[in-house]
Amino acid sequence: MVSELLASAIRMGLPVLLAALGAVYSERSGVVNIGLEGMMITGSFWGAVGAYYAGPLAGMALAVAASVLMALVHAVVSVTFRVDQIVSGVALNILAYGAARFSSIALFQKATMSPHVQGFTPISVPGLDQVPWLKPLVTNLSPLVVVGFLLVPLSYWVIEKTVFGLRLRAVGENPLAADTLGLKVFHLRYAGVLLSGVLAGLAGAYLSVEHTGMYVEGMTQGKGYIALAAMIFGNWSPVGAMGAALLFGFAESLSFRVVESAVVPYQFIKMIPYALTLVVLAGVLKRTRPPAADGIPYEREEA
Amino acid sequence: MRKRYRYVALELASPLVAIAFAVLVGAVVIAAIGKNPVQVYRIMFTFAFRRLDSVGIMLFGATPLIFSGLAVAISFRAGLFNIGVEGQYLIGTFLAALAGFALKGLPSFVHLPLVIVVAALGGALWSLLPIYLKVRRGVHEVISTIMLNYIAFSLIHYLIADVFMDKQQGLMPGVGNPLIRLPKIAASALMPRMHGFLALLGVDLPRHVYLNWFFPLGLLLAVAVHYLIWRTAFGYELRAVGHNPAAAEAAGIDPAAVQIRAFLLSGLIAGVTGLSDLLSYFGYMDLDFPKGYGFTGIAVALMGKNSPLGIVLAALLFGFLNRGAEGVQTFAGVPMDTVVILQGVMILSIVVASAVMGRYIRRQERKEALGASW
Repeated sequence: MVSELLASAIRMGLPVLLAALGAVYSERSGVVNIGLEGMMITGSFWGAVGAYYAGPLAGMALAVAASVLMALVHAVVSVTFRVDQIVSGVALNILAYGAARFSSIALFQKATMSPHVQGFTPISVPGLDQVPWLKPLVTNLSPLVVVGFLLVPLSYWVIEKTVFGLRLRAVGENPLAADTLGLKVFHLRYAGVLLSGVLAGLAGAYLSVEHTGMYVEGMTQGKGYIALAAMIFGNWSPVGAMGAALLFGFAESLSFRVVESAVVPYQFIKMIPYALTLVVLAGVLKRTRPPAADGIPYEREEA
Repeated sequence: MRKRYRYVALELASPLVAIAFAVLVGAVVIAAIGKNPVQVYRIMFTFAFRRLDSVGIMLFGATPLIFSGLAVAISFRAGLFNIGVEGQYLIGTFLAALAGFALKGLPSFVHLPLVIVVAALGGALWSLLPIYLKVRRGVHEVISTIMLNYIAFSLIHYLIADVFMDKQQGLMPGVGNPLIRLPKIAASALMPRMHGFLALLGVDLPRHVYLNWFFPLGLLLAVAVHYLIWRTAFGYELRAVGHNPAAAEAAGIDPAAVQIRAFLLSGLIAGVTGLSDLLSYFGYMDLDFPKGYGFTGIAVALMGKNSPLGIVLAALLFGFLNRGAEGVQTFAGVPMDTVVILQGVMILSIVVASAVMGRYIRRQERKEALGASW
């Protein structure tokens, strides 16, 4: 029972985890990415398109490509043109919403949903799947779940232990100093934003291709924003983001069980992830420390 | 002095550049689905401007956007980003609908203003928590307001479907399904349409147009907001805090106090956004009450560069886009959602154009200042 609940928390929390990891890359480089939600919408739609026409792998590829394109727009607008990053992200979300509806009509003749699509063949962890109490956790897994949780230590290593990570953090903390040392501030910030696009695209594709088996309008349900909150709760670190994402996944999977019991009106159950986000942010924010230059466009001295 | 005019012209040019760029992107999108962009745009214009009903519908469509755009702009001016207009107007609309059907026997000149005030207070109520969290706990208002939007959707759903649903809709037993909606609002709280007044001016608006007195009210509000921002002490503090909170504080302004008042004012205006639809078109609130005015309000505020006049123009532009899109959907088979793409592209290009032109102007001014000192 406990492991089943945990397994369901992992399934629910995975999109938040992927997008939150993306947010870590973007914000550690100094760029706030409110556009995660739009990138997830884009990923969920194009993931379904790719999966519908050419299988789940093509879905992932198409989702990542489309989402990276959105991320590129965010980078051009907010890094190169130094427009307020929040404004750029919000505009991107509006654009993504309209583009998904439009493309859905163009491809599927329906604005709000795609046909059913086939996901990956579920996998099991060999060896561990013989242990009875572990069974729900290690069998019938989406490969993306495995990928997602492998990405946590990988991201930790990339950000904390590699030269690239060091440089990424440098431009997020003090871009002027980094620039003085000859680092390419703009290139690094582009890298951070584009990586967040890759991960948000995967997060969206997971929702449509793996979790639901089709694209439905509004299926992201604010998970991009929740991912941002998870990243903040996790203090801008991959491991912390994982903990927070699991917490949100847990709240969501718990809420499904409460709905089944029908004690509380389901509309209140639906509020849980959002209320939890508010509570978490109100409770922890004073104790977290964002990168020093997070959200501030870097401007070279103009001659 | 001639140079000054050139700068003003450059400032004004950026919205036009943005519109042109959006039209171009729209043309590519339209061409991509195999339609002729020129023809589609022509249909859009003739449908929107050659018909009297279209013009009325454009003004009706612009009405809520004037309110939501002004609400967003006031928060912007104070350095805040109210993305919660969406939730705020739903709460305001709900409370207004409640006061509209629950109070009976009031004369119209009491009931209607009362309902408007209730809506505004509802909007302000829903903006209390985010500004508290912002000022006291440092929670970014963008995330908190978005969360409250989702909470508002669920709450309204619950209140309409499970608590206040109209059980006596006058259906024959066993015939049809009752709508999931609130009881109808008393006639004394409904906002009259402008047909009678326009008929005096010789304009005979068709009956299916719902242009009502909230439109001129929105224009009046825009004037009031302009006055508030540019002619009052509070407006000065608002701009100072929005521009540079640290400098404002050094000058003896309490940034937190100004931001709280600005955000609540933004919520008050946001609360009224849905009333044009509620009190003139529907007459009741149901689960399908129009959503999205809050988000479009952000686009309107950015397009209008947070100036009330600009916002009115941008709201009219969006009213035109929506009406024109209905035309091209019907007569050219192009999905209406092209318009949402256009809006997104417009916002992105206007903010980029403004940033680039702003920097160009600053650089020119610096050069001139240097030149003058030689």
